[in-house]
Amino acid sequence: MKWIGMGAVLAIAMLVAVVLGPAHVPLSDLLDSPIVWDLRLPRALLALLVGGSLGMAGASLQSLVRNPLADPFLLGLSGGAGLGAVLAIALHLGGPWALPLAAFAGALVALALVFRLGLVGGAELDPRILLLGGVAVGAFTGAVTTAIVSLAEASELRNAYLWLWGGLSSASWATVRLIAVYVPIPLFVLLAAARPLDLLVLGDESARYLGAEVAATKRRVYLAASLLTAAAVSVSGVIGFVGLIVPHVGRGLVGVRHRALLPAAFLIGGTLLVLADTLARVAVAPRELPVGIVTALVGVPLFALLLRRWSAA
Amino acid sequence: MRSSLPRTHLAGLALALLAGACGRSSPRALAAPAQRIVSLAPSITELLFALGAGPQVVGRTVYCKYPPAALAVPSVGDGLNPSVEAIVARQPDLVVLYRSPHTEAASRQLQALGVTTLVLHHDRLEDIDTTARLLGEATGHADEGRAIARRIDSVLAAPAVPGPHARLVHVVWDNPPIVIGGGSYLDQLTKLSGADNAFHDIATPSATVSIETIAARDPDWIAVLRETSDTMPPDYAKRPEWRVVRAVREGRFLFLPADLFGQPSARAPEAVAYLRHLLDRSPLVVPVAR
Amino acid sequence: MILDLVRVHFRYPGAPGDALNDVSLALANGELVALLGPNGSGKTTLVRVALGLYEPQGGQATILGRAARAWTRRELARVVGVVSQREDNLFPQRVRDTVRLGRYPHLGPWGGERDADRQAVERALERCDVADLADRWLWTLSGGEYQRVRIARALAQEPRLLVLDEPTASLDVRHEMELFQLVRRLVDTEGLGALLVTHDVNLASRFADRVALLARGALAAAGPPVDVLRQEIAESVFGWPIAVSSFEGRPQLTPLRRDR
Repeated sequence: MKWIGMGAVLAIAMLVAVVLGPAHVPLSDLLDSPIVWDLRLPRALLALLVGGSLGMAGASLQSLVRNPLADPFLLGLSGGAGLGAVLAIALHLGGPWALPLAAFAGALVALALVFRLGLVGGAELDPRILLLGGVAVGAFTGAVTTAIVSLAEASELRNAYLWLWGGLSSASWATVRLIAVYVPIPLFVLLAAARPLDLLVLGDESARYLGAEVAATKRRVYLAASLLTAAAVSVSGVIGFVGLIVPHVGRGLVGVRHRALLPAAFLIGGTLLVLADTLARVAVAPRELPVGIVTALVGVPLFALLLRRWSAA
Repeated sequence: MRSSLPRTHLAGLALALLAGACGRSSPRALAAPAQRIVSLAPSITELLFALGAGPQVVGRTVYCKYPPAALAVPSVGDGLNPSVEAIVARQPDLVVLYRSPHTEAASRQLQALGVTTLVLHHDRLEDIDTTARLLGEATGHADEGRAIARRIDSVLAAPAVPGPHARLVHVVWDNPPIVIGGGSYLDQLTKLSGADNAFHDIATPSATVSIETIAARDPDWIAVLRETSDTMPPDYAKRPEWRVVRAVREGRFLFLPADLFGQPSARAPEAVAYLRHLLDRSPLVVPVAR
Repeated sequence: MILDLVRVHFRYPGAPGDALNDVSLALANGELVALLGPNGSGKTTLVRVALGLYEPQGGQATILGRAARAWTRRELARVVGVVSQREDNLFPQRVRDTVRLGRYPHLGPWGGERDADRQAVERALERCDVADLADRWLWTLSGGEYQRVRIARALAQEPRLLVLDEPTASLDVRHEMELFQLVRRLVDTEGLGALLVTHDVNLASRFADRVALLARGALAAAGPPVDVLRQEIAESVFGWPIAVSSFEGRPQLTPLRRDR
């Protein structure tokens, strides 16, 4: 069955992620090595959670805004997160959690802004305005961030950009615990909205006539998907492409019904990010590539392959 | 050694050196030692003051903070993305730039406006020799320039420190982890002070690496550049993923003053001595609380 | 009475005039009512008010005796199946999958489909003559087949009332006839009520039990086709010279040429 296949691929990916790395850990020492237990394993788990969240958020957003090219980072959240992070550095906020918390706060502010903009036409979220608002908020926060970085004198601020480009280097058991506790709620909300999402893709009016509470569903889906994305950005920066192509891969494998698509998107997104992160660590060792580059390099050929299969079918 | 050549020949020599050594120079010759110099890099500013040409410096970047006397010089803004207008407003007869794509463009613009420019590589110890001599000639402080060059040469020519060597990692940023590699000035200083840069095998000046690579290479020390004299461990030392690195767990941090170590400087010999002193004394920083 | 509109007034927010003015319309089981009128006369608005999407400023709209606005969308979807004018089709789907969406008003967020649901889907596919298309992709269907599939989906809801908004707008003769015949058959054999909004006055006349003619938001006439589709009424509503003839006992309107 497809699900067993997806589970198996994920398990293999996790194994590979734990066994391979730029530091040579002989197989015999695998179970004792702190590198494996305290670095690689939490990192693989974080990749699973972040990749899965982005995949599922992407799938639900594409249906919500009725656009197959929608990506969670079109919502302007990454701009808000970047601004939050840069402000944390500029204001010399101390503490090991200052950066992710500030990024999360920034993402929430961006979320609130775009949400408010999306309600401009009335009581109901308008998908087109959501997209445009997201782009606008993203551009605005990006500009403010650039201004702060170029005007400020601390060279550390330039390095803040590198954080935003994405990476799982901050993975630890503490981070994994935090994310593992946080994501089930938005994931649950999205899964509960699976059937209404199936209806929503028909259009607002048709969805209503088939029993969907359109306004409430849109709000819930938007908030849940945004909260997942905000958490992902806060711990791992902007990892593009996952939220965009994983839903399409999922549809190719399990179809368009969200009851199957959303969990599949989680598994596929998690697998993709685990594999991409392993490649990022290993491909140019001892150096490390930004994982966002690898997801694009891995994702694009995969996507092209799928497109060929679908158009042939 | 006092030069007995007349001034015009001096300037001619400076021009020849300019054209030959750096590949980019102004077609307009320097008729006399430069009296109004704008420096667009902190290392250049420092060098100019070290040559005794401080009074001749009329413009600096906002990042040029050493020596303290430099702070009295008006700032013309950013050095890597220069504002030609702000520079020209200082009415310079010589502008010294650090080579980068932006500065090449700025240099051309300045030349079009009739300003003499000098675009320099100034990344490693060897470059200080060349730059000190060049700028010495161009500013009328040829003797000081040669003296600095000789000091740098003798540091470079010093015999290697006998082993065993402490292993060092220069961590510039924590998320993502960025370390200094073999192509850089800091790597040279490390070697001269008798330590090994654990990432000397990476050819570029800096590189992003995984924490596990740092942990696997197990450095004895983590070197951190500091602008202040604060000796608190960096924030990332408390993060669980960094504590897999032994040096972080044991609080083995070396704090290097940024103005001494941050850029190629005439005070390189002092920097080497400072680092060697730190290594020999093996001071332990306040251990990080769990 | 499944549907009952009594003296409904409705104006869109910020609009200069009434979209619906003192409109009354009732529909019972086993009745096919056709809603006719020129563009902009308020036909789709009437449907939306009748189905609780908008609150009328005057009068009342009830379904099965209860105010249309008082029904939750889920409850209403178990009673009324709508084939609206427009529908988006974002991702490729098969016929059976889109018909299954009709069962959603009967399903909670978590439960799986039960046998009763599967049977309702199969029945709906058969009743609409699209059972042999069940595994086809929607985008491979002709316009007429696609409309029948949408009716099957509405039927899968197991409603008491079918509402179709211009279902034959771009269909050819054959597919149009098939669709009207299908709706008529469903009304006759399943006892459903049907409200059919259409521009095809003549087919409406032949198939409907009653006809309601809207003009500029008001009801110009309502009743059996022979009473409503009369020359004076038709000409005044449509603003064009009309000749009325008869076919199978039903009035047929023929617009006259004005260019000779």
